[in-house]
Amino acid sequence: MAKKMTIALFSGSLDKLTATGIVLSGAAANDLDVDVFVLLQGARAFKKDIAENTDELKMAENEHLRKEFLESLEKLKVKPWLEFFKEAKELTNVKIYIYGLAGKVWGGEKLDDFVDIADDICGIGEYVSSAEEADINLFI
Amino acid sequence: MDQEELKNITANKSVDARGTACPGPLLAAKKAIGEVNSGEIMEILSSDEATKRDIPKWAQKKGHEYLGTVEESGYFKVYMKKK
Repeated sequence: MAKKMTIALFSGSLDKLTATGIVLSGAAANDLDVDVFVLLQGARAFKKDIAENTDELKMAENEHLRKEFLESLEKLKVKPWLEFFKEAKELTNVKIYIYGLAGKVWGGEKLDDFVDIADDICGIGEYVSSAEEADINLFI
Repeated sequence: MDQEELKNITANKSVDARGTACPGPLLAAKKAIGEVNSGEIMEILSSDEATKRDIPKWAQKKGHEYLGTVEESGYFKVYMKKK
């Protein structure tokens, strides 16, 4: 049976979303099953009208280095954060759940309000239950 | 395998991931290994220093045999045999 990782993705910041996508790539390479629970700020970033609009997303740290960060990623041929999530889903069993209350805070009521890679809207009980049985649990 | 033996290997599958940063080479290797038959050899070309540790460790974790790494000018080749 595959090992399982859960990620509580609270952050909706450009740098932490990128970091999460890269960790997901490592999980995909190792064939882990991953459940991503998208919490408060993350849910905003996963909205259809925001996900691919980097102007809407700030840095978690060192906002003044944002331009350098984005330029470096481009130079290093590192994909935008959402692409990492998409690729990981193609390579391994990654499920992405938007926490319902978080979605509502930002006006996202239905699954259709979020990017296509989101699998469903969930309640917090499911996150805790999934984390309880996971081999690895990250809060980002 | 020593360097001479590695240099004489003809890989069944070659993955050129030069110019991409981690996790690019690892993901390229992961995608390509599905196209390699058991017992065949795959080489991964990379210019990313992190790959030197990451791909051998990944290969061993997945049960493949890490054969060694050859340094070239500005890049290196990692060799592995699929389980």
